[in-house]
Amino acid sequence: MAKVAYYPGCALKERSSHLDTSARDSAVRLGFELDELPTWTCCGAVPPVSEERVMNLVAPSRILKDVRDSGRDVLITICDFCYNTLKRTNYSIRTNEITRKRINAFLADDEPERDYIEKKDAYWVDYTGEVRVVHLMEYLRDEIGYGNIREKLKRPLSGLKIAPYYGCVMLRPQNEIQLDEPENPSIIEDFIDSLGAETIRYPYRTECCGSYLSVSSPDASTRLCYRILTSAQQHGADAMVISCPLCFYNLDSRQKAIAEAYPDFKPIPVFYFTQLLSVALGVDEGRQGFERHFVDVAPVLDMILQGSGKGDRT
Amino acid sequence: MTKASEKPMDELVPIFFMGKRYEVPASLTIQKALEYAGYQHVRGCGCRGGVCGACGTVYRIPDSYKLQVGLACQTVVQPGMHLMIMPYYPGNRTEFDIEELKGTGGEVAALYPEIFKCIGCNACTMGCPMDIDVMHYMAQAIRGDVPGVAVTSFDCIMCGLCASRCPAEEVQFNVAILARRLNARYRVPRAEHLDKRVREIKEGRFEEPLHDLMSRSIDELKKMYSARETEPQMAEENWTPQDARYV
Repeated sequence: MAKVAYYPGCALKERSSHLDTSARDSAVRLGFELDELPTWTCCGAVPPVSEERVMNLVAPSRILKDVRDSGRDVLITICDFCYNTLKRTNYSIRTNEITRKRINAFLADDEPERDYIEKKDAYWVDYTGEVRVVHLMEYLRDEIGYGNIREKLKRPLSGLKIAPYYGCVMLRPQNEIQLDEPENPSIIEDFIDSLGAETIRYPYRTECCGSYLSVSSPDASTRLCYRILTSAQQHGADAMVISCPLCFYNLDSRQKAIAEAYPDFKPIPVFYFTQLLSVALGVDEGRQGFERHFVDVAPVLDMILQGSGKGDRT
Repeated sequence: MTKASEKPMDELVPIFFMGKRYEVPASLTIQKALEYAGYQHVRGCGCRGGVCGACGTVYRIPDSYKLQVGLACQTVVQPGMHLMIMPYYPGNRTEFDIEELKGTGGEVAALYPEIFKCIGCNACTMGCPMDIDVMHYMAQAIRGDVPGVAVTSFDCIMCGLCASRCPAEEVQFNVAILARRLNARYRVPRAEHLDKRVREIKEGRFEEPLHDLMSRSIDELKKMYSARETEPQMAEENWTPQDARYV
């Protein structure tokens, strides 16, 4: 089975490990393995919003250099923030000579120098952006192919109406990310289509969920999430699908605060894209960590299970 | 033929301690070299065997800008080296009652919220005399992997050099020992043999030999110490001493 270098990111590694599980399960069903890097740090999740252009790039640059040094040229991530950070870091290294030189000068000094530690034989080679940072959604589109997914479906999500949610960092800034049209994207719609479900069109799919405001001014995030979720519901959505752990937290857990602030609000289940993929490919629904969601997914899950019968168990 | 007393003395090399030059024998460790130079270690000296972490040392050799680290009791002097022993580093240490915790990564983050300031510069790893991948266990702490931190940081001797090099003012060594304590208390199985031995002590199994020792004179104790039976270097796994009454 083909192995692809995989960077889970901190959120998916422990706190939301069920999302990591669903990604790995799905990959196996589609014929490849997500091969986690042996050691990795937080990507920083900062460069996108920071003026500091070198120190914050050190950690993500080292992650990318380690992938290259392991002889691979593709790194998959399933978190929008990690994707944004790693890809933009790579872009800086590829396009800005001064950044490239400063980062490499720093990283080249990275090994402890002690007489009793065996020196590595390999000589230093500047990292120049050789690795390609790929979102799993992108890998499904470009490498696996939607046709291939359709063929391997065990439980097509037919009859289910799903609202795609892009948020901010998956697509922007366009010149650096180049994943899809930021104003009129279609990658999640096409993904939903490949699972046999129906896509709901609604105007708030690329609006911000409040991101880290969830910590500093939660009310602002509550207001934004309310708008996104009710708009999707008014257009007929049974469920939301997202690809960022922070959006997931905001759109799922924040529904408690939304219900308190807006009496007319009705809950709507939120899924990580890997969970829907995993269930549709026939992986046991018990492996998806649905019990860790704030909003009960049972109504939607029942539709899926009744719609196409039980999938085979893993 | 050269008599033993005429054996040429070890070559002397210059070292700089706190900026002052001393000529010391080239084969000595930093610790012994400083004693040779007349210093008496009151702090900054513990086990002399490379495990207590009291003699963490920062040094630099001529013609290099790089700061290096080592333990004064383990590192041999180099000609022209500038050095300083750092017995203690005043990093943050939070208080906790381990019985009130549950052993989660969230608790580590709550007690040391500054872990999220880590920028991944790797200065801590470069500053660790025990060759621990400090940055890696800080990354594990950030993502809440308590057992991971415990395993990666296992060789830590709490010298604090990691914290001294950190631009984010982390206290890696204190984060690590918190994780090891949580791991030991809540994750790994209890050591039954330890419980058994504690029970034996409480039941008074070792009272008699202890009182016997306390009644002896210094000279008698010295003789007993010299004559004691020690485990051979290459002992079999099931080796037991001749006198196995208290094993």
